[in-house]
Amino acid sequence: MGINRRRFFSLLLPAAALAACSRSEASEDNSGPVQDEQVGCLADTTLCIGCRQCEEGCNRRNELPRPDTLFRDRLVFREQRRPGPNNFTVVNEFPGPPSRDQPKKQATYVKTQCMHCLDPACVSACIVGALTRARDGAVIYNPDICIGCRYCMIACPFQIPSYEYSDALAPKVRKCEFCADPAGGTGADPACAAACPTEAIVFGKRSELLQLARSRIERHRVRYIDRIYGENEVGGTSWLYLYGRDLSDIGLLSLPSSAPPRTTEAIQHTIFKYGAIPFLVYGTLGGIMWHNHRKQQVAAVEDGGES
Amino acid sequence: MSTHQTRTVRGRFFSHGTFALLAVMTLGGAFAFTRLLTGLEAVTNLTDAYPWGLWIAIDVACGVALAAGGFTTAALIEIFGNHKYRPLLRPAVLTAWLGYIFVGVGLMFDLGRYWNIWRPMFNWQGNSVLFEVGMCVMTYLFVLTVEMSVSFLDGLRTRVEEESRGAIILRRLERPLTLLRRIVRTVMPLFVVAGVVLSFMHQSSLGALMVIAPTKMCSLWYTPVLPLLFLLSAIMVGFPMVVMESLIASRSLGREPEMDLLSPLAKIIPWFIAAYGIVKILDLVVRGSAVQFIDTPGHMVAFLVEMILCLVVPFVLLLFKPVRESAGWLLFSSLLVIGGVVLNRVNVFLVAYEPPFPGRGYFPSVGEIAVTLGLVATIMFLYRVFIFLFPIMPKHETSGPKPLRSPATYTPLQPKTAWTFRGVAIGLLLLFSVLYAFIHQEAVSGDIRATNWVESVRPVEEEATGLNPAEHAGRPEGYKRVYILSSRLLDDLDNFYEPTRFNHTTHDEWTGGDCAPCHHRFSMGGDDRIGIDLHEFHDEMEIHLGGPCASCHDMDSITIQRCDSCHWLANEEDDPSRLGLKGSYHRQCIGCHEDIPESDAPVDCIGCHHPLTPDHGDLVAVDKGAGVEDVVRECIRCHETSAADILESAHWNWSGHSPEVGGYEDSASLGINTLVNNYMFGTGPNAEYCAACHIGIGPLEGRIENRDPETVDCLICHDTTGTYIKKIGDGGRPVDGVDLAAVAHSVGRPSRDKCGSCHFYSDGSANIKHGDLEPVLADPPDDLDVHMGRYNLLCQDCHTTRQHKIAGMSMSAPVVEGRVLCSRCHSDTPHGIGGEYSRHLDDHLRSISCQVCHIPRIARESPTRTFIDWRQAESYGPVPLTDRGLPDWPEQAGVETWVRDLVPEYRWYDGTRKVKVLGETIDPRKTVYLNQPEGDKRNPGALISAFKTHRAMQPYDTENKTLVIPKLWGGFWQHFNLEVAIREGMEESGMEYSGSYGFAATVQYTGIHHEIVPAKDALGCQDCHIATAVDCRRCHSSIRGHELNGLGHAVYPEVKNRIDFEALGYEDDPARIGGRFFIQPGRGTPPS
Repeated sequence: MGINRRRFFSLLLPAAALAACSRSEASEDNSGPVQDEQVGCLADTTLCIGCRQCEEGCNRRNELPRPDTLFRDRLVFREQRRPGPNNFTVVNEFPGPPSRDQPKKQATYVKTQCMHCLDPACVSACIVGALTRARDGAVIYNPDICIGCRYCMIACPFQIPSYEYSDALAPKVRKCEFCADPAGGTGADPACAAACPTEAIVFGKRSELLQLARSRIERHRVRYIDRIYGENEVGGTSWLYLYGRDLSDIGLLSLPSSAPPRTTEAIQHTIFKYGAIPFLVYGTLGGIMWHNHRKQQVAAVEDGGES
Repeated sequence: MSTHQTRTVRGRFFSHGTFALLAVMTLGGAFAFTRLLTGLEAVTNLTDAYPWGLWIAIDVACGVALAAGGFTTAALIEIFGNHKYRPLLRPAVLTAWLGYIFVGVGLMFDLGRYWNIWRPMFNWQGNSVLFEVGMCVMTYLFVLTVEMSVSFLDGLRTRVEEESRGAIILRRLERPLTLLRRIVRTVMPLFVVAGVVLSFMHQSSLGALMVIAPTKMCSLWYTPVLPLLFLLSAIMVGFPMVVMESLIASRSLGREPEMDLLSPLAKIIPWFIAAYGIVKILDLVVRGSAVQFIDTPGHMVAFLVEMILCLVVPFVLLLFKPVRESAGWLLFSSLLVIGGVVLNRVNVFLVAYEPPFPGRGYFPSVGEIAVTLGLVATIMFLYRVFIFLFPIMPKHETSGPKPLRSPATYTPLQPKTAWTFRGVAIGLLLLFSVLYAFIHQEAVSGDIRATNWVESVRPVEEEATGLNPAEHAGRPEGYKRVYILSSRLLDDLDNFYEPTRFNHTTHDEWTGGDCAPCHHRFSMGGDDRIGIDLHEFHDEMEIHLGGPCASCHDMDSITIQRCDSCHWLANEEDDPSRLGLKGSYHRQCIGCHEDIPESDAPVDCIGCHHPLTPDHGDLVAVDKGAGVEDVVRECIRCHETSAADILESAHWNWSGHSPEVGGYEDSASLGINTLVNNYMFGTGPNAEYCAACHIGIGPLEGRIENRDPETVDCLICHDTTGTYIKKIGDGGRPVDGVDLAAVAHSVGRPSRDKCGSCHFYSDGSANIKHGDLEPVLADPPDDLDVHMGRYNLLCQDCHTTRQHKIAGMSMSAPVVEGRVLCSRCHSDTPHGIGGEYSRHLDDHLRSISCQVCHIPRIARESPTRTFIDWRQAESYGPVPLTDRGLPDWPEQAGVETWVRDLVPEYRWYDGTRKVKVLGETIDPRKTVYLNQPEGDKRNPGALISAFKTHRAMQPYDTENKTLVIPKLWGGFWQHFNLEVAIREGMEESGMEYSGSYGFAATVQYTGIHHEIVPAKDALGCQDCHIATAVDCRRCHSSIRGHELNGLGHAVYPEVKNRIDFEALGYEDDPARIGGRFFIQPGRGTPPS
């Protein structure tokens, strides 16, 4: 819908180029390009048992190098890990008191990967459009045109994209691409969700996942905090999280609901759309220059006449 | 452009400063070269948390800002017509031009794929601020080049006129060069204005770069008006840059500072500082509450320095005329402003950037600093080169004697031609602008194209596996009671762990016979995947649930809802709320287990699953032809702790803590080597033979005590090829011709075969000792052992192992490392749920161990030895030896008795026993019990248990009354002279021997735990009890025709008097007279 609306405006507005400066366009964009056919994943941190099979599934599907330690090695939980060039997803352990409804559970496990924002800052930031957002929500990367500026990494509010700094010739930005790699084959079911033994990760349409998440919260009032992480964060994300402890305790970032690209693109498109303002400035400066030149010439002629 | 008098600088090019610049350039160049060769990681400190470092902050951001002198001066002179400043123009433009080249080159080092730097020209992304910056910078660089070209062309011209070097070539090019110069001069005004506009655009956009990361920026600097602030500060720093550069150049070239120009110029500067400062402070005021001043002290200091020292101080200073007219003070003030802008850029791009997961943080590396310094030095060097080569600096009175050409000689183009060129220039600019507008247009529709691209490359989704979930393969026959969670479906999805075994009966008992916790919905037909909730279902029929299902339903005939009739694939896209089979099992199990905190039900992976052994093919580095010691060393390389664990284990030490042995409860010294038995007497002189089963390699002498990890034989248990067999009497080394590399590459969990390679052959030959551990158990038929046959349980499934300490208790070896209990899987009411019959059976558990009924016979396939007579052995003389080195006495010799289908003996047993240790005196007139189970009827902890007894007439020292140990391996088995064998044996084991020996009758017990038959083959009532005592009607007289479903009969009628109740302490059959805990209620007397 959003795209269509934007296209509609963009076709309509050349007739009134100056109207580009108006705020209406920017406010339309605030709705974000949310689609009905969005897919996503619901990650339920209260169900995750920290088995790291999602990491292994991801590693296999993306044909990443095998790590030094085995995937069932739980010693990795001693430190907080971040996704890197060789692991697009990691599970971290957040030790904590057992909750009321799960007396045995001693720790919460939280999986980290690209959230596949509905309005991704990295896509908006990318200088050449090497990062693009597919209609179903996957944010994918095309290394062929990437220039390696790493602005996407600056832009990402979740600090997800990682870089192959050690590669001298053709380093790539690496991140989860929702298993949407054209060569990968399936493209439907992300490897992490398929591997999860407790189905703490559920893959499906985002709208349905939101319903599912709400119904779980409804049913287990004690277990969950009544909020779906990712529903509104930075304009909404394809990955949604259910959780039962404070966000800051389990390493999830508290983020505003506005998407960063809305600010930058509003500035960009307001100032530069159709080159209106640059033209205006150019015209004004040119006029001043012309005026001063004339004045000078007249002065010179007068001088010459007098002398 | 200029009609002002400029000329090249004359003089000595090289100075000390120049050489210093060259040195810094070389160093920077070296690091830059390294970066190009080895990548960013080697030279920079950049991380995923800090993707932008010094190169972006200084080379790019500061480079662009400090090049602002170019457009501000151009605007001041060309647009606003202040022509008196013209002498400052060319140097300013040169600085700007070099500055932008510096930005470009610096960027090349920073970009990961610098060879793709041209991409933005063709791959437009109008939403990107960086694209905006990049395009503008590229265009502006072109504009600046055009502006610079005037100086170049003038320079070439002068060169021709002065007949200096290269003049001959240049003279030939005079016509085209003159034309070019004319064209440039004609279109120059257009480019000047374009340069100003482009500068406005990208100077502001540079500020907008960081606006995209609001959550990662310190609130002191982050503001949506950053673009405006960047633009204003760029304008502000323009003139100070011109001032500084002019003053430094004058000093460097030994000229008078151009104070007549700089002082009035400096008068403008405070206005720009004020404009920037006011907007900046207004922004802070407006954002007010959002700004956190004191959160990070470091940031606050950086901010205050930037604001006060570099903004307020120069503002105040420049208001004073004396400051503006003094070269030194003016330079100082300008430097403060420039420093302020540099600090501001560094602050915005580095200091203010606070990633949520900072990792190791960021501080520029030596390489980054060196490259940046090298680039700055390059600029300064090039500046010097250019002012020496081209007429850039204003004409100096003291320089060159030659008169300059008068500008009047310059002939302008014909008006018509001039307008043509102007038109072309205007057209170009228009084209650029239209292009630019189009690019923004493109950005909007970019999403749509990208979507289509993905859509076209993404394959159409296939039908889901096509697998009928109701018929998945791999389900074992016996799933009725034990459901094994293994299916093709699950195996496809993950193969990281071995499948678990779900004991349905046990879980059934834990839920009190209520099926609903797991089988929560009931499907009404094959297509119904939603079903109806069991509770609702019963509510509709007005049935209140609350007890075992079996109390109403005949569980054999009812259709039990299968899990996979609703739960199929994981993550069904059509119905994300329905769990897949895998998820539903795990969630069901873990969820319930977590809810029962007092139970020790597992909630972790390895509580239920054994992790699959990874393929060691790639992990183990052993060459062909490696010795067994090499392999062990390779194992220890990774499994260091495992080897240490082994050295502490009973399998290594053969001795240890023995809490069950009477008199030795607190001892840790009891072991195989200190006990005596009646198979091989003892390890002492026969240790060489015994060593074939010790899990070590190398010389036997002191092997156990030395505890050298490298003597642990990992392969004897972990070999999966079945080829690794130990040789008898060779220090436990494998038989010849074993491909050790192949064995090492395929190690895995021990199989029954591997455990059996020792335990099936305890004391020399197959099943000679245990009776219930025979080679057929490696792959037994279902009815021989239900655990190992039907359910394929491995030894370690029951003999649970932690850190190589293996649970289990042996009658002959005293050390215990954990118990194996039936109740680990079976509940305390194991005979089914509900019903009188199961209650009667459960009552037996107070007095009878499970093995009594469920192991009716042992030695089912291979016979076991029950008796050996050493008197006969001595007198019979030499016999051939078997391939395992034991004498093969013929049956008629009467030396040994071997029995198949042996019925165990039954004794009270409370878990403790008495043993005979080596050298203990015996009473040879009585039967000597080498290990006697303790317990009797009056001991409530004792149960009637099943044993195999091995009797022997074995030699003892008639004088010392101790059992002797003859040397068998290499002794009696060679010369068949018992007397010599005894003497050798006693000598080798260092024991006292009088020289005369007799024979004593000894008995050794072995517990019976294996060869558990299926329930239908377990003992029936009449196998032990007399028929009349187990008739239901005796007590339940009202029930007519109640039969025990055919289970009351004797299953093994051929075995008479299986249990001798009187020997166990009962007066009569306890079924008739009552058990040991109750008195017979006497509700009826058995019919006579």
